[in-house]
Amino acid sequence: MRLHPRRLFSRLLRSRQVEGVLFVLPYGAIWALFLLWPVIYGFYISLFKWQPLLGSEFIGLKNYANLLQDARFWNALRNTFWFAALAMPLIIGIGLLFALFIWGSGRRRGGGFIEASFFWPYLLNVSIVSIIWKWLFDPDFGLILAYLRGIGLDPPVFLNDPLWVVPAIAFATGWWLAGYRMVVFRAAMEDIPDTVFELAELDGANPVVRLFRILIPLLKPAILFSLVLTAISSFRVLGQVLMMTDGGPGRASEVLALYLYRAGWQYLEMGRAAALGFVLFLIILVVTLVGFWVIGLESELGGR
Amino acid sequence: MRRSQTALALVLLIALMAGLGACAAPPPPAAGPAQEEAPQTRAEKYTLWFNTLFHSGDAQAMERIVQLYNETHQDTQITLTQGQWSEYYAQLTNAVIAGNPPQIGIVHTNKLSEMYPALTPLEASPAGNLLEAAGIQGENYIEALWQAGERDGHRYLVPLDTHMWGMWYNKDIFEAAGLDPENPPQTMEEFVAAADAIRDAGFIAFHPAEDALPRKLRRAWYILFWQQGGELFDEGYTQATFNNEKGLKALEFLVSMVQERGWNDPGTDGFKQFTAGQLGMLFAGNWMYWTAKESGVNWGFAYVPQFYDRRVTWANSHNLVIPKQPEGVSDEVLVKAAEAIKWINENSDLWGIYGGHIPAYKPALESQELRNSDTWQLSLSKFADMANNGWIHYPIDHPKGSQLESAIQVQIQRAYNGEISPEEALRLAEEEANQILQSQ
Amino acid sequence: MARHTPSLSRMARRPRIRWREVQASLEMAALFSLAIVWLVPVLWMIDTAFKPTPEIFTLPPRWIPSRFTLEHVLEVLQDWPFLGWLTNSLIVAGGSTGLSLAISTPAAYSFARLRWRGRNLLFLVFISSMLIPWQVNAVPLYFLMDRLGLLNSYAAVVLPISAMPIGVFLLRQFFVNFPGELEDAARLDGCSSLGVLVRIILPNSIPAFVALGLYMFIFAWNEFFWSLIALQRPELLTLPIGLKALQGAHDIEYGLLLAGAFLASLPVLLVFLLFRQRVIRGMTLTGGIKG
Repeated sequence: MRLHPRRLFSRLLRSRQVEGVLFVLPYGAIWALFLLWPVIYGFYISLFKWQPLLGSEFIGLKNYANLLQDARFWNALRNTFWFAALAMPLIIGIGLLFALFIWGSGRRRGGGFIEASFFWPYLLNVSIVSIIWKWLFDPDFGLILAYLRGIGLDPPVFLNDPLWVVPAIAFATGWWLAGYRMVVFRAAMEDIPDTVFELAELDGANPVVRLFRILIPLLKPAILFSLVLTAISSFRVLGQVLMMTDGGPGRASEVLALYLYRAGWQYLEMGRAAALGFVLFLIILVVTLVGFWVIGLESELGGR
Repeated sequence: MRRSQTALALVLLIALMAGLGACAAPPPPAAGPAQEEAPQTRAEKYTLWFNTLFHSGDAQAMERIVQLYNETHQDTQITLTQGQWSEYYAQLTNAVIAGNPPQIGIVHTNKLSEMYPALTPLEASPAGNLLEAAGIQGENYIEALWQAGERDGHRYLVPLDTHMWGMWYNKDIFEAAGLDPENPPQTMEEFVAAADAIRDAGFIAFHPAEDALPRKLRRAWYILFWQQGGELFDEGYTQATFNNEKGLKALEFLVSMVQERGWNDPGTDGFKQFTAGQLGMLFAGNWMYWTAKESGVNWGFAYVPQFYDRRVTWANSHNLVIPKQPEGVSDEVLVKAAEAIKWINENSDLWGIYGGHIPAYKPALESQELRNSDTWQLSLSKFADMANNGWIHYPIDHPKGSQLESAIQVQIQRAYNGEISPEEALRLAEEEANQILQSQ
Repeated sequence: MARHTPSLSRMARRPRIRWREVQASLEMAALFSLAIVWLVPVLWMIDTAFKPTPEIFTLPPRWIPSRFTLEHVLEVLQDWPFLGWLTNSLIVAGGSTGLSLAISTPAAYSFARLRWRGRNLLFLVFISSMLIPWQVNAVPLYFLMDRLGLLNSYAAVVLPISAMPIGVFLLRQFFVNFPGELEDAARLDGCSSLGVLVRIILPNSIPAFVALGLYMFIFAWNEFFWSLIALQRPELLTLPIGLKALQGAHDIEYGLLLAGAFLASLPVLLVFLLFRQRVIRGMTLTGGIKG
């Protein structure tokens, strides 16, 4: 029997294949245009001395070669890794510790207040966090230095000291983001069946053993996953650094994202900035792949 | 306007696909409102977009001027946007690339090398000689400022003002330290003696650079370096010429203020210390006026002292420009923009009174209203003297100026903080600056 | 929340009940102090915002001012388009959330419940793109937006945020676990896939939408890097970027700055106080993408 074209069309529309694709189309179009295309286009730009007004010049991989010889790039790379190495354990460690605290106290009176005050900084945006902490670290009138001096110490001027500036920013970041991790870990803890602990208690395991032998291993997937996500966000840190120190003192806190921003939007060297973006992307890709390889990609993406 | 149509279509498409009428995308901002004015419809009003990098006090002063313009002009109105200073130049360049530039903009004198490809040559614009058409005449402007606005035989800049650093001091602290509050120090000897006296009286003696920002410390070092006749680069910007005896002497003196003489500590904010009434002397720009006035401190203002061979301070100027307009912008719009530039300068006595800057337009500088204002009496007259006496020096003017400045200021700050020696700082700065110059 | 949770004190095995109570209150007291310490930065912000300027710059720091003043708050509101920033932030965050939900839902539904060739591969491609931090795409996105004429419009920020694959991922997880019986029944009644999505799936997925919506809203509300680049007209600035401008212009006036920070945190504080449990639980659902 011959099908009428209109019926063919309507059957086609109802076919699962076409239908499935149609449902994905709106997201797919936006994704392709605003996520995938920029990656390709960014790599293309990074091959040019990009000067739209004077005429761009194809220079191959020279932007990348220049980066390798650029002391400022290596400095930014070092600072980025240094920041990530400090911020990750701070965020995860404090988050885990707080989760343990509220896990015990959540049901009691005042537990809600405690949870809320640990969590609340996460909701502030990066500018607010930076303004608050810059003020707390103020060399003349800041609370932190004043109190440290008050108890007879001679503290460094944290944000103006090349040794202390990155740890200080990482600490502020820990204060800001740990609450989110706390909530995630607490949820993971609540998924652990009580029987596990009851059995351990019957076995007479002491609290330390129970913490490190039972709780932490059971939380391992959540912790590792958090590590990967925290790593990604740490490697692209910009706002705190830009607003608290602007990369200073000297270039002691100039991270990759800040160098990228300056190269592109202050020095108008878009080719170099695009190359920096691509390098940052590669770093994050490697870190993430290694992270997921450790966790086991399948267990996380498996779904069904 | 094919681009905006594509954009609009895209937005519509997305909204439709999503089945959701609200993706919160307004029509893209009009691409320079004047573009929509077809040349035939001359009876209609012109709208000029004026974008500046001014903020706080400056922005308010410019707002007054534009408001006055709009009140006194029937056929042309100015839309003013201000406040985005940190990415201003990149934004201006990119707006020109995008064919969406303002009709009037502001450019610092030392940014001309970087910016001129994005600007309209005023004497040879697509609409002809705009200087003649609008009646802008060079002899009405402070000569040095006017002359700085040309590149390769083309005029790009019409100067609006000049601004610079001077010395603000606290009269009460001077008295407490046994100094004459009406005779602030003006030589190296006097200055060192005064600073030591203030320190010994239990106050913070001196802040050389407004606050702790590297670019400000760089300016302080510039002043000390230039006062010895030093120049940062050779004529053609082929190499750095500051890693020498003069550069070192300047940096060693700057560093000694916080590392040996105990006049202040590194990392502190001079504005804040001054406002809090704890700081004796401060190098800061004319924009300090309102802050000083509102602080309640009993303050005075003086020239930058002469530390070495000659008296020089760091200075710069704001200039009015017409960014390069896309094709299809009518000649009338360009002429209107040039006329508006002239009008703004004619009323720039307001810029002096409320912005605290020295107008570049001589009749405005000499206006009675400006001369009678508090701003003039308390600080501006001395700034104007420094400009008229030629005690001013502009910063680096080079396409890679921002990078060169970064190379210098980073090391100056490290030396100031005591992290590295002045010798090493200058060596590192020279190395990086030369690398930047060679990597063209 | 019916589940019984073992407490810290249970982990430390203490047989006598009274001793347990003492220990528990000591624990609570310690936690309370820690919580207060954790709040000090925020309290100090509020304190500074309402102090007269001279008392902001005193040593040692003074917590109790001689008088409370609204001058800083009023100055921010009068001299800066603070309400405009707030509106812009609401538009950007609301737009991103709305668009993201609108486009992610059908895609997630298709991946979860429709069978077609290539869907698993395509899904994996989308998910892998989660590794692309879109901030890193700043340079190409800038020129792309410029081409599209979208620079300096809300859409320039809303579109790339909505392109993030997290929504598709989260919703798919949710839809996959949706019981099939209801859907089968609807199909027997002659519902098309769209009908199933609208009538069956949507009404039963409100918690997932709330959770994802919260996540997207907070993400867009806090977005910094790209907004800094894409929105360069003062009238378009969002709160984080507006605050940066405020800091740039008044880096010495801490009273004003902290008043701005305080005002900017106020809406979030209010929402949080009203819907604390909901916010925290929503965060848990999206937490670490998988709990």
